Amino acid sequence: MIKQAGNTARGLALAVAAFSAIAPIASRGAGSEGEQIAELKQKLDQSLKMIEALTARVRQLEAAQPASTPTAAATAVPADAQRIETVENRVAQMEASNAARGGDSSSLPMHGFADVGVANHNPWNPDLKGYYVGDLDFYLTPRLGTHTKALFELNFETDTDGSIGVDLERAQIGYSFSDAATVWLGRFHTPFGYMNTALHHGSWIANALRRPAFLNFEDHDGILPVHTVGAWLTGAAHGEGGKLLYDVYMGNGQRISGGVIDMRNAGNDHGQLIAGGRLGYQWTEGAAEGLQFGLHGFSSKIGDDQVPEHNTQLRVVGGYGVYDTDRWEHIFEIYLFDNKDVSGNGGTHKSTAGFAQFAYRAPFGVPYLRYERASLQQADQYFAQQAFGASYWRAAIGIRFDIDPKSALKLELANTHVTDQTPNQIQREYDDALAQYAIRF
Amino acid sequence: MRSGSSPLRTRRWRGARVIPLIGLALAGWAGAGELFVICNAAVALQPAEIRDTFVGEKGFVGAVKLAPADNSAIQAAFLEKVLKVDAAKYAGIWTKKSFRDGDIPPPVKTSDAEALAYVKQTQGGCSYVGTEPGPGVKVIARF
Repeated sequence: MIKQAGNTARGLALAVAAFSAIAPIASRGAGSEGEQIAELKQKLDQSLKMIEALTARVRQLEAAQPASTPTAAATAVPADAQRIETVENRVAQMEASNAARGGDSSSLPMHGFADVGVANHNPWNPDLKGYYVGDLDFYLTPRLGTHTKALFELNFETDTDGSIGVDLERAQIGYSFSDAATVWLGRFHTPFGYMNTALHHGSWIANALRRPAFLNFEDHDGILPVHTVGAWLTGAAHGEGGKLLYDVYMGNGQRISGGVIDMRNAGNDHGQLIAGGRLGYQWTEGAAEGLQFGLHGFSSKIGDDQVPEHNTQLRVVGGYGVYDTDRWEHIFEIYLFDNKDVSGNGGTHKSTAGFAQFAYRAPFGVPYLRYERASLQQADQYFAQQAFGASYWRAAIGIRFDIDPKSALKLELANTHVTDQTPNQIQREYDDALAQYAIRF
Repeated sequence: MRSGSSPLRTRRWRGARVIPLIGLALAGWAGAGELFVICNAAVALQPAEIRDTFVGEKGFVGAVKLAPADNSAIQAAFLEKVLKVDAAKYAGIWTKKSFRDGDIPPPVKTSDAEALAYVKQTQGGCSYVGTEPGPGVKVIARF
């Protein structure tokens, strides 16, 4: 810096001197030659003095800090190198540390769903209206190891009478042998149809505002054992363009208590089992990508709390189809009951239930249509002893708006006909208008 | 001479450090948009299986449990080019997957170096980087 200042000063001084000398010659043409020479000499003397003064000042400045810069520069080089090397080492350590976080066994991801709403008929109890609290549903997927995994779901839900209940909806621990075989033990969503395992709790997950009534949860007047406590083998065999999906399970035979199906969390006292399976195929490539079809069936000997107790051999077969793409979501399910009264002479009773739902994923939202129907034999004690075992049909139209990636507003209009008169249900028709705000976190 | 040559040497030394940085920047610019899907050397993943691996549909290659990891430095490009989804949909896919099957979304690494280190040290590890990964990992596909 100092040297550079010195060079600049010298240059300036020479320029001033030259300009001072030339300018008078150029500008003045008059006067005697002697006067002009004297004037030039005087100015030249002044310029020389100025140059000397500036040169002296430059030397003075240079002398003030003669060799400090090169020394500093010489020492700065190794200092910088050392500092950079230290920083590089630290960054490498941080990267290695962060890279290992994926295998951190202490992490416990917890997420959940919640929903609230308003309706002229409560979604699960048409005798109530107004604002309602839906579910606050937490689920945990602890990171356990290479092959072991677990899933726990704790749900705070409003029961049909308005009280708040807490359910351990799922408590399952599993071991994955491969993609083709995972064994779960505990309480799980009974693998029948599509909706019961794909769109269970967590309203945000589903496009529709609520499940078909006959597929409701046991304590929300559902007529099927949607939870099982037992063992479940599930897997997928990947092939060209698709995969074969299968489920095989067995568990505690359920019991109807107080009009509600009890999945017998702690075991049952009669050794009866539920056993069933599901087999499906899903296209993952080509024109049929997103299409899935399957068959399902299960059997369970189910008693109740009546005196004398009724025992019914529940036998259900059915099928499902799904078309789930970026544009469409269509679902249908069918359940065929062939229940046998095994405690008396009631014989066998055939019933059916099913639904079809069509949804279009438009840029502004997801409008959907659904039709559901259950034709349930009231002579079948399995249905007769349930709080809502009546036949019905419902037509619904609705729409889902995704407000942001984690919240959705849903609206639904529905018309419901309860077509059986039972001790718990009266024949009636009603129109629903419902709104729901659902989130995930 | 000393006072004149040392600053020059300093400049040359700085230049020696700056030039490779410029080179790296130019290399990055020249290869802008290039993306390498990598796996641990012991993982024999096929390019067609990348999507299923990162959305949790494929968990094993042979006896090896896959452990994919996202790289936030280039995640947007990966989602767009490879999985063909946006970040919101990707998060939604994993919310459903996790809730239904108890699977855990891939951990998120924050740089190529971190992703590379994770893949090298994790059996079954897979991730993606924006620069040539070098030796020690297997490049499954280049986009």
